[in-house]
Amino acid sequence: MELRSSDEAAFRQVYDQVFPVIMKVAFHVTYNLDVSEDICQDAFIRFFDKNMVFETMDDAKFWLIRVTKNLAINQIKRKARETASIEKLKQVTPTSSYKDGASQLLFQESTESVRKAVAQLSEKYKTVIVLKEYAGLDYKQISKILNISESNVKVRVHRARKELEVLLGREDA
Amino acid sequence: MCLDDQILNTYLDGELEEPFRSQVEEHMSYCSACRDRYKKLKNLKLMVEASVISDSEIETRKANVLRMIENTCFSKKKPSFFKRQLRINLPAFATVAAAFVFVFVGSIVYINRETNQFIPPNVENTIDENNVNLVNSKTVKTIDDYSLEEILDSLDKRGYTVDLKIKGVAPVTFE
Repeated sequence: MELRSSDEAAFRQVYDQVFPVIMKVAFHVTYNLDVSEDICQDAFIRFFDKNMVFETMDDAKFWLIRVTKNLAINQIKRKARETASIEKLKQVTPTSSYKDGASQLLFQESTESVRKAVAQLSEKYKTVIVLKEYAGLDYKQISKILNISESNVKVRVHRARKELEVLLGREDA
Repeated sequence: MCLDDQILNTYLDGELEEPFRSQVEEHMSYCSACRDRYKKLKNLKLMVEASVISDSEIETRKANVLRMIENTCFSKKKPSFFKRQLRINLPAFATVAAAFVFVFVGSIVYINRETNQFIPPNVENTIDENNVNLVNSKTVKTIDDYSLEEILDSLDKRGYTVDLKIKGVAPVTFE
């Protein structure tokens, strides 16, 4: 099934399926909802304007993820020059399905500390963790998007988790 | 020998292939240290996954962005096929049109110049005896050099039937 990115019906189909994934990527790289929304919008407008043909839905998805990831990385690099991006985390209100107040508080705390830790990862590790844990991609898909080998992805995921463990352990102490 | 974190992480992600997967499972069935380590890694993964942006936030943003795209992209490109065709051809079309206008206008100007008798032709050579035939230098005979009789005789020899009418005309007088 071929997908033409400027065809409205095909576009809507891709949008419906891929938006949640790229929103997750944009958000967990930038940790700013408004900025993430702008990035997703930018990515989809590029997608539409480029008038490309994709063989499969996955190809379109990978293209969009790659563009979004790059836009998000550029954004945090720009932001890092201006302010400390960690501060922005405080503005993000995590939402959850917990009804109970105490567990919600706990959940919020752990969410916030995980997000802080992810935000502190180096670009190389942050990208694989975001694509693995939030975008739900497998090693092969990540290697395609980042244009690196599968074993390289494997190593990066492992090292990123190691760093996260250290960062989260430091916070607990 | 116990399992290292990288193998456990790969196993955790469901990316460890056979026969290693079975070996890991077998090892963990009796090694509590590796089992504990695996649990820790799994908890870390679950904790990271749990911090994902909520679905409701995604849905809100999804609607916002779609509205924007509908306003900018779809409304702009509704008759997409025709517009696309036109857009691709426009530079070529403009070039051909410009060339046509150029040739058309150019030819009119050129033709006008050729037929315009008010514009004196360029005279490149100076007028001298080489390119001027004086009327009274009898080098070339013209019709004025023959008498009427000679002309009639010549025509008669060539087999022409000549019908000659002589009409009396009053002499022109100048006041």
